[in-house]
Amino acid sequence: MLRDTFGKWHGGVRGVVVVCLFVTLVPLLMAQTAGTGALTGKITDASGAAVANAKVTVVNADGGQTQTAATGADGVYRFAPLPPGNYRVKIEATGFQALEIASTTIPATGAATVDGKLESEQKPGEPSLKDLGFTPDQTAGSAAAQARLDKRSHMLKTHQTLGLITLAPLAATLILSSGAAGKNSTASGREIHAAVGGVTAGMYLTTASFAIFAPKIPGTPTRGPIRLHKALAWIHGPGMILTPILGALAYDQRSRGEKVHGIASAHGAVGAVTGIAYGAAMLAVVIKF
Amino acid sequence: MNQRIPAVFLILAPAALFGADSQWVLGPSTLSYHVSHPLHESVGVSHEARGKGVCHAGQCDFLIAAPVKSFDSKDSNRDLHMLQVTRAGQFPMVTVRVLLPESELTAATIHCDLEIQFAGQTAHYKQITLQREAHGNDIRITGTIPATLSDFKIDPPSLLTVPVKNDVPIKVEMSWRPL
Repeated sequence: MLRDTFGKWHGGVRGVVVVCLFVTLVPLLMAQTAGTGALTGKITDASGAAVANAKVTVVNADGGQTQTAATGADGVYRFAPLPPGNYRVKIEATGFQALEIASTTIPATGAATVDGKLESEQKPGEPSLKDLGFTPDQTAGSAAAQARLDKRSHMLKTHQTLGLITLAPLAATLILSSGAAGKNSTASGREIHAAVGGVTAGMYLTTASFAIFAPKIPGTPTRGPIRLHKALAWIHGPGMILTPILGALAYDQRSRGEKVHGIASAHGAVGAVTGIAYGAAMLAVVIKF
Repeated sequence: MNQRIPAVFLILAPAALFGADSQWVLGPSTLSYHVSHPLHESVGVSHEARGKGVCHAGQCDFLIAAPVKSFDSKDSNRDLHMLQVTRAGQFPMVTVRVLLPESELTAATIHCDLEIQFAGQTAHYKQITLQREAHGNDIRITGTIPATLSDFKIDPPSLLTVPVKNDVPIKVEMSWRPL
């Protein structure tokens, strides 16, 4: 009986210890996971320029705890770790109107981003961009829009470079055509001409793809010499596809000992027109800064 | 009654002496930048500038702004490159703020301080000289702002490995009319 009582008492102590451990450890574990959130963002002025040394204050909506941070020279601030929950964010900087974001949610893991655009501290009566009738869409830029411009510019520069390089195999193909057709043609001459022509077509298509797939920028109509450059692409583009096909037909006919006939006989003329259109397209654009 | 008239005059006189508030709005205008390279010259022009001026207590504050995208050099390839190097995706507007004493508005030659926000940078220009012509109530202001690429931390673009000149003078031709 005594043993039973002790056993029951012992079991009760065990239960109490387990409960105590649970009560003690759970908040500790929760506190550990609570600190894994973060808040970051960039503070800019109306023009989009970074605002350095802006004071950013976050206030926990539940507990009321407050933390502050300052932006660096790049306008970026960061709170980490920050317990998850809802926060009010206030941004203050000398010469600017204070900006307050009523509520933002910090996730348990990862970082939430809150960017802020500060309006200059306006003197009474001082004109602003809003007074001029510009819409926020017109005045607000974005990193994504700049990234699109950067990508387009990079792709078009590659297009230009590859276009210039492609001139070399194109010229070589035209020169080597003398050994592939006519009285002096030989089997090896045809093979070399076909191989170099294949390289030209491949490089041409690669060059073209950089222009075709470059991202378009809304609100920028095509003006100037680039219009002729694009128009000529409607000649040398199909020509650069048709020429190798006709060349393959001509090669096949010659290999069988036949005289080049039918549609294949247009290979030389189509190739010449394509080459001329390509050269004209290059001349139509002066490489601009 | 007769005693009231001088009293009213005395109350209103200071306002008249210090100048009442006046406002100006920008009419048809042209802003143009000029880029020089040993091999060629190019000019980008915008006719889409908007502006407003407020004069208060003898001091005038003018704001002029235009979308960077609105500058046309007659070559969309070059204009797109200009948008890229001037970071116009992120900073789509160019704004010019002009501060000057109201008395300058009546002078044939205006000396003013300018603040230009462009490409994410702010540049200040002191004592810029502009020419003023009166056309009835309207005034026409012309001049050149001696801007440079380095003022806005823009890397000079190159043509055949030769960079363009750092100087990019901005020519302004503005018509202002009172509101």
